[in-house]
Amino acid sequence: MELRRVEESIFKILMILSLVIVMGSLLGVIGTILLKGLPALNIDMLTKTAQGGYYLGKGGGILNAIIGSAYLAIGGTVLAFFLSIGIAFYLQKEYSGGTRLSNLTRLCLDILWGTPSIVYGAFGFTVLMFFHMRASLLAGIIVLALLELPIMTRAMEEVIKTVPQELKEVSYSLGATRLETTLSVVSKQALPGLLTGVLIAFGRGIGDAASILFTAGYTDRIPTSLFDATASLPLAIFFQLSSPLPQVQQKAYASAVILLMVILAISITTRLLSRKYNKYIIK
Amino acid sequence: MSEIHIEIDNVNAYYNGNHALKNISVKIQKKQITAIIGPSGCGKSTLLKCMNRLIDLTDGVTYSGKILIDNEDIFARKTDIVNIRKKMGLLAQKPIPLPMSIYENIAYGPKIHGTKKKSDLDAIVEKYLKLVGLWEEVKGRLNSPASQLSLGQQQRLCLARGLAVEPEIILCDEPTSALDPVSSQHIEQQLLKLKKDYTIVIVTHNIHQAMRLADYVIHLYLGELVEHGLANEVFENPKEERTRAYINGIFSPDLKIDSEENLKGKMCPYNFVYAKQALHNLEDGKILKIIVDDPLAVTEVPRGMEADGHKVLIVKQINKKDWEIVIQK
Ligand SMILES: Nc1ncnc2c1ncn2[C@@H]1O[C@H](COP(=O)(O)OP(=O)(O)O)[C@@H](O)[C@H]1O
Ligand SMILES: [Mg+2]
Repeated sequence: MELRRVEESIFKILMILSLVIVMGSLLGVIGTILLKGLPALNIDMLTKTAQGGYYLGKGGGILNAIIGSAYLAIGGTVLAFFLSIGIAFYLQKEYSGGTRLSNLTRLCLDILWGTPSIVYGAFGFTVLMFFHMRASLLAGIIVLALLELPIMTRAMEEVIKTVPQELKEVSYSLGATRLETTLSVVSKQALPGLLTGVLIAFGRGIGDAASILFTAGYTDRIPTSLFDATASLPLAIFFQLSSPLPQVQQKAYASAVILLMVILAISITTRLLSRKYNKYIIK
Repeated sequence: MSEIHIEIDNVNAYYNGNHALKNISVKIQKKQITAIIGPSGCGKSTLLKCMNRLIDLTDGVTYSGKILIDNEDIFARKTDIVNIRKKMGLLAQKPIPLPMSIYENIAYGPKIHGTKKKSDLDAIVEKYLKLVGLWEEVKGRLNSPASQLSLGQQQRLCLARGLAVEPEIILCDEPTSALDPVSSQHIEQQLLKLKKDYTIVIVTHNIHQAMRLADYVIHLYLGELVEHGLANEVFENPKEERTRAYINGIFSPDLKIDSEENLKGKMCPYNFVYAKQALHNLEDGKILKIIVDDPLAVTEVPRGMEADGHKVLIVKQINKKDWEIVIQK
């Protein structure tokens, strides 16, 4: 009896400890960024592009990076979404029949998931060189889509797998085809989970610097076509941090605040959407 | 006047080699309520799922034989299963609304079958919600999620949803087993009312429900068709001993028990071994009652006992976990 009580309190302490570590590191990261970044944050940073000499401490902002990142991450996520949703459904037993090919696909996705993003960047760069092309928004979007693909697909696959068999049977019993069942019933039941999958992948996409370093390039201008090079927030932070000038370094933290806000906004929106559709889910 | 709607002809079904339906042949009349009765695991749901071929969705299942609906063989390769299923509404064991609003739950079927106009759909939704007596309760919140209704309301919604595709047959698999008594009664009344327009097949392990509803009864036991016939004949004067035992077991458990053995907590096959030992000590014709709580025993012990030439009289669930099996040597 005594032993069990001791055991229980040990587990309780461990749980609290892990909670403290998780919360503590999150608050630590956010705190540091806010403390260092907020004083340097001003309206110019949000509304002006990096004019000549910005990285030498002159005026201007990082609007080019904000918009560039938005283009890159949204483009990459949308592209990854269409690929992922197809693969995720294909991986379900009733579509692929649980074949060896689907297991192989799963294995590939897991390896891709574990691949460092710089490798994606290097691969993208090699392909660009091969076709004698320069870094561009399009190349960045494609590389980000590849980076997001495994996360999104695996998350979606798991969600779709949890849709109860009875629910599909109901749809079939009403005379629906497999496609109708998938589009109107399975996807509705899985929607909140799918949204979460998209969000996680978006988060990885918008925060990644290494994969787009060589593929999307970096410029001070806002891209006007898919073939222009583009700036991005993670790289803006990286370049500003590497500056020897303290006022530029401070701007790096301010940029991090902006990136954080973007991610926060997306998170909250997804949460709200998720909750809205969650009501309909059959448990 | 009676007309055959569904003809089941020598149907066999296997789950990974486990013989779940054995040479079932029976005819189901149009615009009557046919009840399929029998203890759990005897193949009632399997037979029902053969009728709309939902059985196709189960892994490792094989089946043979013929089921003719309006003289069309639904097992035939060229049969369009979507059309077959459209002819049949299904009411499952527990209410399963679709992950949509109340309105969309009803409109889903008609929509996939080509009704596009909003005003037509509105009319359909209203008509079928009224038919199942749900309209007054939900007309103010047609757009709220179906999952927010009570279980009883959900089951009526499911009935309405099935009816909205204008089927000719309603298949019910223990449709009231998850419901409270009042909701159950409500569903039963609906079914009696619907009988004049639909052929109804209801699976139930509730004998009283079968008596209240059925015109015709099919008694399955361990995958075999034990007896079938008009409800009043089967209930009042069953031809088969096993049917009598099944009906009696639920009515008056005043069979003379010669020996009783509590085998709770014993796993398969030990419960079987103990039961055999206990039987061994009895004279021929004497009756042994055993109590088991291993779900496997519920199907396996009777099966084994029958294989040994004993007679299984009753297999009955007595509470959440425990089952009573009565065997005559
Ligand atoms: N999906 C399945 N896979 C394997 N065996 C099954 C499956 N469904 C049912 N069975 C088996 O088939 C037999 C009949 O089951 P079922 O038709 O569900 O019985 P009932 O509805 O009368 O309780 C049982 O022995 C059961 O264990
Ligand atoms: Mg069943």
